[in-house]
Amino acid sequence: MKPQSNRAWLLVLPALAVMGFVGVLPLVAVLNYSFHDIFSLSDVHWVGVEWYAEIVSSARFHGSLARSLVFSALVIAIQIPLGVGVAMLLRRSGRLGVAMMMLLAAPLVVPWNMIPIMWLNLVDPPAGLIGGAFEALGIGFDRKFDPLHTWILILVMDCWHWLGLVVILAYAGLSAIPDAYYRAAAIDGASRLDVLRHIEIPKIAGALGIVLLLRFVDSFMIYTEAFAINAGGPDRATHFLAIDLGEDIKGFSYGTSAARSMVYFLIVITVVWVFARIMAGRQAERGAGS
Amino acid sequence: MTGALWRCLALGALGLFVLLPFAQTVMLSFVSTLPREGLAEGTPSLVNYRNILASPALMASLVNSGVYVVLNVALCLVAGLPAAYALARYRFVGDRHFLFLLLAFRVTPPVVLSLPVFILFAQFGLVNSPVGIALVHCLFNLPVTIWILESFISAVPRELDETAFLDGQSLPRFLIRHLIPAIAPGIGVAAFFCFIFSWVEVVFARALTVTAGKPITMAINALFGFQTDIGLVMAMTVVSLVPGVAMIWFVRRHIARGFTLRA
Repeated sequence: MKPQSNRAWLLVLPALAVMGFVGVLPLVAVLNYSFHDIFSLSDVHWVGVEWYAEIVSSARFHGSLARSLVFSALVIAIQIPLGVGVAMLLRRSGRLGVAMMMLLAAPLVVPWNMIPIMWLNLVDPPAGLIGGAFEALGIGFDRKFDPLHTWILILVMDCWHWLGLVVILAYAGLSAIPDAYYRAAAIDGASRLDVLRHIEIPKIAGALGIVLLLRFVDSFMIYTEAFAINAGGPDRATHFLAIDLGEDIKGFSYGTSAARSMVYFLIVITVVWVFARIMAGRQAERGAGS
Repeated sequence: MTGALWRCLALGALGLFVLLPFAQTVMLSFVSTLPREGLAEGTPSLVNYRNILASPALMASLVNSGVYVVLNVALCLVAGLPAAYALARYRFVGDRHFLFLLLAFRVTPPVVLSLPVFILFAQFGLVNSPVGIALVHCLFNLPVTIWILESFISAVPRELDETAFLDGQSLPRFLIRHLIPAIAPGIGVAAFFCFIFSWVEVVFARALTVTAGKPITMAINALFGFQTDIGLVMAMTVVSLVPGVAMIWFVRRHIARGFTLRA
């Protein structure tokens, strides 16, 4: 058991000061702006919760919220099972598996604004490899005007970008399972499915929880990548929450963009809070069990 | 037998999927994509890379990105190490709240804070300066550093601290002389993540560089115009990949063993 000492705060102070300056202070500022109508920084009027009421009741917000939720749901439904599956495959592939994991990590180090540039070059005929192949095969792909195709492109691109993260963390979780568990399962004559359900999934749940949270917040607030593909189009089909906010900021409407920021922040923080509660509950359960 | 075959096929398909965009990018970077004197469009050439070397703006952007990334890694390690030590070794009032604060800011979307950060930093003269970007990237990198270092410090037996303190060593001296060598791999892993997240971040980097100090990401955006030299863009993208790929190579043993995790 760790000793109790409030002097430990002195050690946390530098980190707290940095987080206060770059996190808490700007957040308080956003909260303050969100209650004001701001023409310029010297011409500010109190409007109370007017912006919030306007945003929360607007069709534009509902549409974007629905699209972002669907996008996040699809991202999680595709990437988590796929990533866990790939991690299991790589666990049984030895040296090749490690090489593969390094390859899967590569998209994670691409600056975010280059990712759509790379993909657009790939799918645009005639120079693009995929675009050229589609054209030769007679497959029509129109990322500009067909909403379904824009969605597919963004989903595939996002999967390319982030699959490595899911694989690496799932692989780490799987590596932590002692061999004895597998041996015991083999002696009991457990099927592959039983091993997956009763050993692997529960054991990597902690690692998967973090992946799930990170994938949710990043996909829910996707901006740079999605905007570059089709600027939210066609006809607002890929107009996600963060793109709305980007428009407000570019239009210099400080008040509305601050209120919008707060709404998004509250959604994200609620999810994080629920997540932290679930994780703490799991930890307490484990502590009681062992 | 068929199982092995399927596995090879699956891995092959996956490899192809990951490699394809990179292949396209590297290919285009070695092709002249604009009509040039004495060089037909589409001919293989090193002209794009020569153009990078010849462009002061592009070279400066490489330096800018490098400076703030290194500065950010240093800041995160210096502020993160004592905090991680405190969390690993002691319980104190509000420690759980501090952890929640870290988690909350790690996942706060940058676009939510970009506007007030810009206004705040402008008052402190931190706009257009690598210091400003290095500082703001602590928002998501400091929590990551603290988590990683905390899990590594927790794995170090407490006896290491106790013997050092019995020898009459001060805490700072202990941290530098004994703890840092004991958790060197953890410092490497933390530095890796800070480096990567800072290098790929775009929203803050864009908001905080209005007229000067442009990072490599913004320098590439600036290349788009009426007649975009896509070959040059791709060459610059390839250059931007080099540090990240080198970092992956350095931490490959950690990737294989699985990063130490803590929820």
